[in-house]
Amino acid sequence: MTQKLDAMDRAAGLSADSPLRSFRAFRPEFVEGSEACRLAVLTPEDDLGLSQDLRAAIARRVALGANNSTFLAEYPMPENPDFSDLATGKPVTDPALAALASHADMIAATPAKASAAHLAALQSAGYSVPQIIALSELLAYVCFQMRVAHGLRLLEGTL
Amino acid sequence: MSTRSGIPQITLKALKWEPHLPPVEMEDATPRQLAAMKVTPSAKKVSPYVRTLAHDPDSYVARTELFNAIMYVKEGLPREDREMGALVASIANGCRYCANVHARQHAKLSGSSAMVSALYAARPDALSDRESAILAFSKALTTTPPSADAEHVETLRQAGLDTKEIIDLIHAVAIFGWANRLMHPLGHST
Repeated sequence: MTQKLDAMDRAAGLSADSPLRSFRAFRPEFVEGSEACRLAVLTPEDDLGLSQDLRAAIARRVALGANNSTFLAEYPMPENPDFSDLATGKPVTDPALAALASHADMIAATPAKASAAHLAALQSAGYSVPQIIALSELLAYVCFQMRVAHGLRLLEGTL
Repeated sequence: MSTRSGIPQITLKALKWEPHLPPVEMEDATPRQLAAMKVTPSAKKVSPYVRTLAHDPDSYVARTELFNAIMYVKEGLPREDREMGALVASIANGCRYCANVHARQHAKLSGSSAMVSALYAARPDALSDRESAILAFSKALTTTPPSADAEHVETLRQAGLDTKEIIDLIHAVAIFGWANRLMHPLGHST
């Protein structure tokens, strides 16, 4: 494999010469599709009023749940210092960001507990319906990537 | 197929899903949203689920294309095994609607409700070695943080799955780590 490492390779900690990358290449739909999803949730053409910096911060908060420094390194800190607590998993003081933080923590760790009340809380905090959908996709994407990366890393170790 | 270990064979009825948030109404849809909703093959009537997610057309299109590839792409892991991975993740993530859909898909593809009946009766002892290996791996990959380990992979290999098939299973479980986190939080099923 001479192709450049992509975000999933890096999240899984695969090196350029990892034999697992040739196995990944058998499913170009998965490789290209995962990358297209990453761009669609983190840096979309139409951001629906959710900045890339805010998206980076909330994604990083979810990524912390992987408990894996290689994976987390794919999620850089946001530039805006107002999002630092959000991005580092700390309690957040701004009410709108606090609502987002607690929703993200719940979705990432205990999705079975989600209910209509959680969505109502986001709406009361000022998020529109399209923004809630976009945030839901973003949070859940990180949960997807976390599991693919974990699985690929694990599989590589058994080759 | 005969029943296993005397477990009553269940037949699941389809559930109905309703969103907690107002979906996009077709007459109000933007050109981008309309184009996005066409990605779904069932173009006749666009479901409330699709219309809810169409509020963010870009992520909808990207995720749906990836989802379809993971669940339907030819060769590799048999489709029924992908459905089992989806089912196990959905149960673990508390998405009753997704579990119902993929349990029924598995029964249809495999021509038997034995595996689904064993899972719903909490009788993992009645599963085949292959099913047990898929169950254990899928459950462990679904926890937060993921806890699947080398032993789970070794068990999958012993049950006959090769590296390419395990990559397919990883993706099937992971895409339900995504889909479950939409379907369950964004609506309820009856």
